[in-house]
Amino acid sequence: MGTREDEYDYLFKVVLIGDSGVGKSSLLSRFTRNEFNLESKSTIGVEFATRSIEVDGKTIKAQIWDTAGQERYRAITSAYYRGAVGALLVYDIAKHLSYENVERWLRELRDHADQNILIMLVGNKSDLRHLRSITTEEAKAFAETNGLSFIETSALDSTNVEPAFQNILTEIYRIVSQKQMRDPPEVLPVNTNCPIKYVEENKRKTTQDNHSLTCCQQHDAISSWTVTNSA
Amino acid sequence: METYQAEYDKDGFLPETFWKTPQRAVPGRPLQRIAENEVMSGSSYQQFQASVNDAWDLGDDEIISGISETKISKAISHTVALNVINSHRNSTKNDHKPDAKLDGNSVKSSQEEVVSLKKSEVRKTGSVSGPLRHYPGRPRPVRPSALIPREESSESKLERFQQVLESSVLDLDELKQLSWSGIPVKARAVTWRLLAGYLPANAERRREILERKRADYKHLVRQYYDAEREEETYRQIHIDIPRMSPLVALFQQITVQVMFERILYIWAIRHPASGYVQGINDLVTPFFMVFLQEAAPEKELDNFPLDTLSEELRDTIEADSFWCLSKFLDSIQDNYIFAQLGIQYKVNQLKELIRRVDLSLHEHLQSHGVDYLQFSFRWMNNLLTREIPLPCTIRLWDTYLAESDGFATFQLYVCAAFLLHWRERLLRERDFQGLMILLQNVPTQNWTDSNISMLVAEAYRLKFAFADAPNHLHNAGKSDR
Repeated sequence: MGTREDEYDYLFKVVLIGDSGVGKSSLLSRFTRNEFNLESKSTIGVEFATRSIEVDGKTIKAQIWDTAGQERYRAITSAYYRGAVGALLVYDIAKHLSYENVERWLRELRDHADQNILIMLVGNKSDLRHLRSITTEEAKAFAETNGLSFIETSALDSTNVEPAFQNILTEIYRIVSQKQMRDPPEVLPVNTNCPIKYVEENKRKTTQDNHSLTCCQQHDAISSWTVTNSA
Repeated sequence: METYQAEYDKDGFLPETFWKTPQRAVPGRPLQRIAENEVMSGSSYQQFQASVNDAWDLGDDEIISGISETKISKAISHTVALNVINSHRNSTKNDHKPDAKLDGNSVKSSQEEVVSLKKSEVRKTGSVSGPLRHYPGRPRPVRPSALIPREESSESKLERFQQVLESSVLDLDELKQLSWSGIPVKARAVTWRLLAGYLPANAERRREILERKRADYKHLVRQYYDAEREEETYRQIHIDIPRMSPLVALFQQITVQVMFERILYIWAIRHPASGYVQGINDLVTPFFMVFLQEAAPEKELDNFPLDTLSEELRDTIEADSFWCLSKFLDSIQDNYIFAQLGIQYKVNQLKELIRRVDLSLHEHLQSHGVDYLQFSFRWMNNLLTREIPLPCTIRLWDTYLAESDGFATFQLYVCAAFLLHWRERLLRERDFQGLMILLQNVPTQNWTDSNISMLVAEAYRLKFAFADAPNHLHNAGKSDR
């Protein structure tokens, strides 16, 4: 974090949710510090990290809230959904229960998060091929039905971690910049003093290089925006 | 540490002079006299009262008038004195006899520190701005000598512990007073058992009780753990244990992990109102380490192969950890019930307390959108075990276990002292991110027992200032200007 962390064009709050032990904290440390601890400690309450990326020459700062997965923490952690514009809903591809619970987490978001929140379903631990209990196709189909983006990652070997965050942040950026085209004065409910700037709409080009993504909605972010909106 | 002591001697504090000249400066607090004068003169007393009408209820003028006449109730001064003496004993080199003179010095200095704390609040809450940025009673900067473990003072201390522990009927109050400032390693295991209420005060009954309790625990293992287990509880514990102390070889041993698993599972099943909550696992560790240390004295514990201990010794460590944990958690079970109401309540108290004692820090945090829940939740949930090194946690628990009215309340003041400790660094942070990252990763890697001694001494001062005025913490919002 040697760069000037306080210089950015956009600040997006993103939450990491999902069952205990699916690898939320590992995804976060891989993305923000490019580190992986085989056994990172359980998250208590919420933990916070940040990283900036570039999209279309704009600096986007992601403020990422990692939440505790245990049910008992729900009352505390749901308070952190407020103001989040994106959510990575993580399950473990080798733990069927964590996938079954995805629906509960979606309800959780519906109840506590902003209705326009962009949700990406993340099947983590893709390196555990021999232990896989949820096929990519099944999860992909589920994501499509529910208007979610979808990607499989491995925080351990870094597969797709970067694209997962890049993709959701890019999607959020597209929506925000298009929204600004329509109603310029609108300010996102992100953090205090959020310096959202006006940007011209930049016809989406970068999404085309996202070849490694299995994202079912990225061809039309706005439709997923609308889907969640009407849900 | 010699310097520390020398400061006291140089100022020539004697018990007699203290009572007559309470306005004498406290070492390291150069602005004391100014504050003194403000309060002492009749007209500025009005000023003082007006400036703090939100901070002090009418019922507190006992304390306020006590400043001018130094008539703080004997009982209070006695406890403060003892505790501060204890912390001084622990944090200064014990090269002089623990005689009456030392006690006199400490009584006086403790009084003045308390008094000065009150006045600093006057300044802070009353917005009487001045050059007094220093927070009286705050832990002093660590001096190089503080980083050297002070085992030399433990010899005489150990003797005192042995005297108390060997008497046929234990004086629990005396043991608490001794323990508050830290327990020598050799006396720790038995003292913890006594302080936790696991061992009875009556020495004759101890062996019998221990045998029965350890047998009871074996029975519980058979009844709950060896039987069909409650799936969800077991699953969560099973996930958490391997990742507790991932870098310490000791905790990577299956034998150790299974011991923790049994302790936590049985505790959770027997406490259905809370059940297992992530973080409770960290609270087993100090007990486990202390009882392991007793079973394997003089050994390097980080890599200690537990299988080299006899089964009996292992069972003892496990059973004693279980019972002590159970006793320990009794007073804070509301931390772990639905919605963790106990913690939410304490977080609010912390916020109110900081607003009272350090308005500029409070406003700094608020203005950058930092919510107390965001950082202090873990402090409370895990009793700071995630924030400080394990040996420091063990030292801190000496004090927790010795706190006469339970550590549940005291922990709030420890958290406040902990936050205040970082105030200068925090004030230098200019945005939300910087503040949060710092608050979640406070640099305590090099902390030693002496840091903890200072932390609890500061916590004690805060507690002393607020414990008699609980309304200050409850009227959040009401008294806002």
